[in-house]
Amino acid sequence: MAVAPRAPERLTLRLLTTVDAFCNRLYGWRYNPLYQSGTIVVALYLVLVVTGVWLTIFYRVGAPWESVARITANPWAGNWVRGLHRYASDLAVLATLVHALRMFAQAKSWGPRALAWTSGAVLLLLIFACGWTGYVMVWDTFGQYLAREGARMLDTLPVLSEPTSRAFTGEQPLPSAFFFLNLFVHIAIPLAMGVVFWIHVRRVARPLLLPPRPMTWLIVGGLIALSVIWPLSMAPKAEPLVLPERIPADLFFAFWLPLSSTVGGGTALLLAMAAGAALVSVPFLTKRRGAARPAPSWVDEDICTGCVQCSLDCPYGAIDMRNRTGPRSGLVAHVNPSLCVSCGICSGSCPPMGVGPPGRTGREQLVQAREFIARTRPGGRVVVIGCNQAVSGFAPDFAAAGAVPYGINCAGSLHTSVIELFIREGAGGVLVMACPPRDCWNREGPRWLTDRVYHDREAELQSRVDRARVRIAHANAGERRQALEALRAFQADVAALGNPLADQDADLDAECEPVALPRRRRWL
Amino acid sequence: MIDRAVGAVLAAAVAAGIVWASSVPLALNATSDGVLRLAWGARPERIETCREPRPEELANLPQHMRQARICEGVTAEYRLIVTGPDGVRLNRIVRGGGIRRDRPLYVFEELPVSPGAAVFNVAFERITHSAGEDDRSDEGAVPPSMSLDIRATVRPREVILVTYDAQRRELAVRGPGGS
Repeated sequence: MAVAPRAPERLTLRLLTTVDAFCNRLYGWRYNPLYQSGTIVVALYLVLVVTGVWLTIFYRVGAPWESVARITANPWAGNWVRGLHRYASDLAVLATLVHALRMFAQAKSWGPRALAWTSGAVLLLLIFACGWTGYVMVWDTFGQYLAREGARMLDTLPVLSEPTSRAFTGEQPLPSAFFFLNLFVHIAIPLAMGVVFWIHVRRVARPLLLPPRPMTWLIVGGLIALSVIWPLSMAPKAEPLVLPERIPADLFFAFWLPLSSTVGGGTALLLAMAAGAALVSVPFLTKRRGAARPAPSWVDEDICTGCVQCSLDCPYGAIDMRNRTGPRSGLVAHVNPSLCVSCGICSGSCPPMGVGPPGRTGREQLVQAREFIARTRPGGRVVVIGCNQAVSGFAPDFAAAGAVPYGINCAGSLHTSVIELFIREGAGGVLVMACPPRDCWNREGPRWLTDRVYHDREAELQSRVDRARVRIAHANAGERRQALEALRAFQADVAALGNPLADQDADLDAECEPVALPRRRRWL
Repeated sequence: MIDRAVGAVLAAAVAAGIVWASSVPLALNATSDGVLRLAWGARPERIETCREPRPEELANLPQHMRQARICEGVTAEYRLIVTGPDGVRLNRIVRGGGIRRDRPLYVFEELPVSPGAAVFNVAFERITHSAGEDDRSDEGAVPPSMSLDIRATVRPREVILVTYDAQRRELAVRGPGGS
């Protein structure tokens, strides 16, 4: 279950949703770069590794500026590679920030996701450190300034008896060892990043590491084009006994330079440490406690047939199969509560409806749907089953358009029997309005729903249900117009089918005990 | 179609933004002032006062601690004074590094200097005095007193570096305008 966002999360979400909707209009949800921000970072990381290896071949620690100048002067295999290296690192910073914002806005920063958040914060830190060392490697005026500012910050810590700033005063030429050490760190950080990437996605099943292939090539091609159209130039060589009037600074990595040169090394370091601490403490600050924390899924072992589908579908690898210990033999599902985020995807994956968060198992969904039908009597109208994360705000519009809105926590947690129940109870059709697949708050909800409805994935929509009366559409919370268009198109198609025959004898949950349930829907 | 075109324009704008932000000319030294940079490291003097212990003193010590001369000492502290045409520009005490202040001392100061002719005096003097005449001298350490007169024509944004020449055991000027 997606937890209710708090004020800062809500604000970020509103901003993000608006921008998402705009980008969906321009690029379609499949190629919306904002949805792919995490995978874009990985793709750029690979670009940086490849271009970095190439540049290292020509880099000389004994003559850093001269060797980079030689690379930059080579238009065929130097300048554009360096440009690609730089622009890819800049875009990686941007994509990382967008990704972090999305995770924060969707309240995915605490509980079982705290590890991903914290490792993400470490990754951001490593990206900045890597960029820092990369620019110092060039040893132009910008690199020198970065090195000096870094040394000033370091000198405020009472750890070194000799101030590191002295290395850059011009008393003595900088030794090659400095550049060798810098190069070593610049290479070591990406290796460490590889490990942290692994930790970052460790708690998700089937992590998507790369954007769709066309998008990957478009980004790489675009960055290459950028490098060719705007070739890099060399800044003047670092000169310790001359103060440069201006330096060509990369704001993605040196946005703090104007501040640090004003407030001094100690304050700048303090601010940087405070920002880092704030970032790392987000999981603690956003943690839901007590009643605000949704309960993890549970398994009714009497109902569980050991089919393993919930274990396969769980997007967080929180369900494993164990041998039964009682009189029955075979497997039984077991939920690890420390990994479960209470997304409810397992509710939709269980044919006998024996697993799910309390109040949201398939059986309980059916009971709720029955109550809803009794209350609203959809008749021949279209029922819009909407994901609360996506279209909860459009319920009045759906109702005004003649449909019957019905809210659920995640489209992926919807048991297909609920769709069948609505059809059998005489609804003209069922339109499931899910989040765009790459924006699913529970990662794989729309994917599994589509498979269950159209591709016979276990817990499938029964073949007796007329597929012409069922449709899945995608919209985010900012796409009111698109959601209404999808509804109108579906209503027109359903109208062409004629009136459905209500099957009042439907007995989908004959084995279910009637359960009195708390009302969990946000909109009805 | 229009959406796709707008999408392409937006992507191009973001790309242009990345190019611009990756190389923004940052004015960090907006004034044309130069800098008088004082930067050196040296070993501070160890000032030791030695004396011959009295016989009753020796008698109170265990056998293995009895020595013909007992030396006690401290690490010297120094005062750094920079004087310009307008008076004293810098006056501070320089101590050795480490918690016990017995590690090498380091000086790193930067003073803005207006372009043009400049006259400065840099004085570095020991302020810790010895107690008696029977002191042990410390040949490898920084001298008790050093002074340097600087007459330079400072160019805009130029750095005049004053450092310590350990070979000659004196302050020295480096930099394009120094003399």
